[in-house]
Amino acid sequence: MMQGIMDLHHDIFFFLILILVFVLWILVGALWHFHYKKNPIPQRIVHGTTIEILWTIFPSLILMFIAIPSFALLYAMDEVVVDPAITMKAIGHQWYWTYEYSDYNSSDEESLTFDSYMIPEDDLELGQLRLLEVDNRLVVPANSHLRLLVTSADVLHSWAVPSLGVKCDAVPGRLNQISILVQREGVYYGQCSEICGTNHAFMPIVVEALSLKDYCDWVDIQQF
Amino acid sequence: MATETPTLSERYELKGKEEKTDVVSNPVEVKEEETPVTAVSEEAVEKAEEAPPLAAEEKTEDTPSAAEESTEAPTTDESSSEDAPAAAEETNEGTEENSGEEAAEEKKEIKLETAPADYRFPTTNQTRHCFTRYIEYHRCVAAKGEGASECDKFAKYYRSLCPSEWVERWNEQRANGTFPGPLDPCPGQRSLSSDYLTEAVALY
Repeated sequence: MMQGIMDLHHDIFFFLILILVFVLWILVGALWHFHYKKNPIPQRIVHGTTIEILWTIFPSLILMFIAIPSFALLYAMDEVVVDPAITMKAIGHQWYWTYEYSDYNSSDEESLTFDSYMIPEDDLELGQLRLLEVDNRLVVPANSHLRLLVTSADVLHSWAVPSLGVKCDAVPGRLNQISILVQREGVYYGQCSEICGTNHAFMPIVVEALSLKDYCDWVDIQQF
Repeated sequence: MATETPTLSERYELKGKEEKTDVVSNPVEVKEEETPVTAVSEEAVEKAEEAPPLAAEEKTEDTPSAAEESTEAPTTDESSSEDAPAAAEETNEGTEENSGEEAAEEKKEIKLETAPADYRFPTTNQTRHCFTRYIEYHRCVAAKGEGASECDKFAKYYRSLCPSEWVERWNEQRANGTFPGPLDPCPGQRSLSSDYLTEAVALY
């Protein structure tokens, strides 16, 4: 999905630069050619049908070329293409996230659940990011289709990781699903994106993408 | 975008992991797309490399859901002596006491499968998906009896989908008799899931 968003950005940027160059060209040309010293008597044209048709048709064509890929992406983002390999749950609390992995448990009680609190400024080690590091990261396998169900236990929160192209409101009593495909291993940061109280700024999100094998090892270590 | 210029901490964190090859994850992708419906157990990519026959055997086990538990250990024992406990564990996945203990012994045994995408719930809002799976499980148990193997998959699905807090609350409500959903199985129904589907559609 992140790939799609970036591609759309590049598509739109093409038009953006095209328009920018054209507008600058006209602007500078007008300033240059119609300078009061060169052209002391202004022309008094008030109407031109041809040019009006042109400047109506061309912008609408450009808008169409932007709209088509935008809508395609918009609807593609909602669609669940394949069956996910893993379901995870992110539950917003005031003011921390709780993550649940329940694919591997065989009773209602023993799911793999942990809280993810921000590391306070005083405990940071060299190289760690202020207000972004957490004690327990959301660990996921890279290159696997993931389903994340986002909900909240108290007030509205929002689970957002910009690098993965994901932002999803956490609403109490409702499960919102997002599909994630992390394309490379790494650590991805995000923050709560719905104002949720005093410590809204202090409940960051950290996603750690591992290879599938490392992920399995991690689950084993966490579970037993 | 941020990943292209890794920050200092990212560079620190992934030193050890970047060296590892990406080979492991690729075969999983392929497998997943081959049989999306049966929810292939891709747990053992590393195992598949060691013993290819086992991977094939797992597939055959997964497809018939009803016959899965009835043909317990005997079929799996044939393959090889060392793999037998692992395979046996998978077949008994649903029986609650066993799998916990055996999984503790077999360290590498997690089964990468989860509730499949359900065409009844194609939207972002999955609240009803979770609720429906929970009801389906309990109606299944009511119809087939406690510990019926057909119901295990519903149990896995609702556990995957529902937050444990919700499940706890619903379990309490069921114990108190205040659960708001339809838990009794209808007597003359053909298939539980298709029956519920009509009900779910009627709700919209």
